[in-house]
Amino acid sequence: MGNIDQHRKIVRQLLDTKAVDFAAIGKAVTELGPSLAVAEEPWDFFCGTNRIFIHIYRIYNPGTPVEDLGALAANAGELRQ
Amino acid sequence: MAEMREPAQRQSQTGAWEERDLIRRLCHALDIAKLTVEHLAPGGYVDLHDREKNIRAEKVLSETAVLLLAASQVAQSEVQDRVKSLIVCLAPHARSKRALIGMCVEPSVAWEYALGHLCLNRLGCPDSDFDTLLLHALHAQAHAGRERVPHRMLEKEWAALGLRDLAEDDRRIQMSRLSVLNCPMDLLSCRREDMYAFTHALMYVTDFGIRPVPLPRPREVVLAEAEALLAYCLDEQDYDLAGEILLSWPLTGKSWSPAAAFAFRVLAHVEDKAGFLPTPGTRISEIEVRSGVERTQYRLATAYHTAYVMGLLCAASLRPGHAPPASFACKDARPGGTAHILRVLDADGKHPHWREEFNQLTSHEADALAGLLVQVSLRRKTMQRDYSGLLQALEVACDLDLSDMPSAVQAAELLDRLAAYSEIEQKMAATAPADCLEYA
Repeated sequence: MGNIDQHRKIVRQLLDTKAVDFAAIGKAVTELGPSLAVAEEPWDFFCGTNRIFIHIYRIYNPGTPVEDLGALAANAGELRQ
Repeated sequence: MAEMREPAQRQSQTGAWEERDLIRRLCHALDIAKLTVEHLAPGGYVDLHDREKNIRAEKVLSETAVLLLAASQVAQSEVQDRVKSLIVCLAPHARSKRALIGMCVEPSVAWEYALGHLCLNRLGCPDSDFDTLLLHALHAQAHAGRERVPHRMLEKEWAALGLRDLAEDDRRIQMSRLSVLNCPMDLLSCRREDMYAFTHALMYVTDFGIRPVPLPRPREVVLAEAEALLAYCLDEQDYDLAGEILLSWPLTGKSWSPAAAFAFRVLAHVEDKAGFLPTPGTRISEIEVRSGVERTQYRLATAYHTAYVMGLLCAASLRPGHAPPASFACKDARPGGTAHILRVLDADGKHPHWREEFNQLTSHEADALAGLLVQVSLRRKTMQRDYSGLLQALEVACDLDLSDMPSAVQAAELLDRLAAYSEIEQKMAATAPADCLEYA
């Protein structure tokens, strides 16, 4: 599967979860948008001309701790002395 | 599982860490290396579930060769036997068609393809055909066509020690002056990559004690910064980097600071408990969903590097007079000086392995680690953006006469910059239009 198709599939799947409340986001933009649009520094996520309003980041190794040492020992297999 | 040992059992008559124990750990690393070569040298590691865990064969080959080079300096027969056996296993992979073709097709990374081969040359296992093709690639117009950061330039000069005609210590000295070893590290906000630049540069300058060139700055200055990095890595349970940073002591001299000796003890204890020195990358749930060869390869791919680091550390410590002390003290330490800072650290609710080990210390040993605890606190508070906490940690450092530690100096500078920013920010707030303030 190509990258574009894969991205579409991910986006579709995320949209289907209904995890993002677009109505609520729209309401907030409606309230904040007009004054921020004319402010000196509206910032891109407010200005309304950017297509990206929500960033989803994939965080690699988000501070995952080392596993329990006893459990690791039980699963060490050929790494064990 | 590896036998659990009490600290007293690790002490030789000289007060140093017991040699037999260091040899046992080095042999363990070499045994893991043998399995790693068998399983990962032919094609690297490809993880079908998580591409982040993929490893190129060249990385495995180079790192195994570096471990062998360091271990070859240890005279004991059980180490020498393993090194010789591994050289035989490694050579066909390090000098494979893949490596030869790689040098032809990508001459700008010929050094990387040849690193394993060059270490083997130094280990008394030459291959003149490989040398010829490598030299051919190094004469290509495009040979320098890939930009290298200073510690990678230093790596290239170090790798050249494997080709008699190309090795030049002067160039290695020059490159070391360009590296991070020659300027103060950003101890409170540096990233893992920065720390790797430090540890790798140190390996290439010292050449694992075989053919060292002088450090670009005095040893005590470099080690003072290494100690701050070590404090952070211990606290994060990043044993891969902690082990590499710990190499700074035995690779540059014979003395170990109390903090370095304590860190070695923590790593040894963790290794004994888990059966190998772990990283967060080895996940039990991932082991359980695999079986057979796939499980073995997963275990090796996620753990071999840290096992090698422990091997390098033990090999460096086995040089005569370079072993860590089994116990430590500091005659200038203030009795009970760690109590307050320990309470502050415990209030964060973190329970890293070093804390367990700290509880086992004698009061003299605990007192000697006040600096380490302060450095842990300074880094934690900086990362938490808790600047009032940072100020308190700094005040403790002053009370304990530790304000000249590099991380304390950098913390004071950070607070000074933030105070300057605060003044500017107040001016900006006072002059900003009312409608902007609403959304500030």
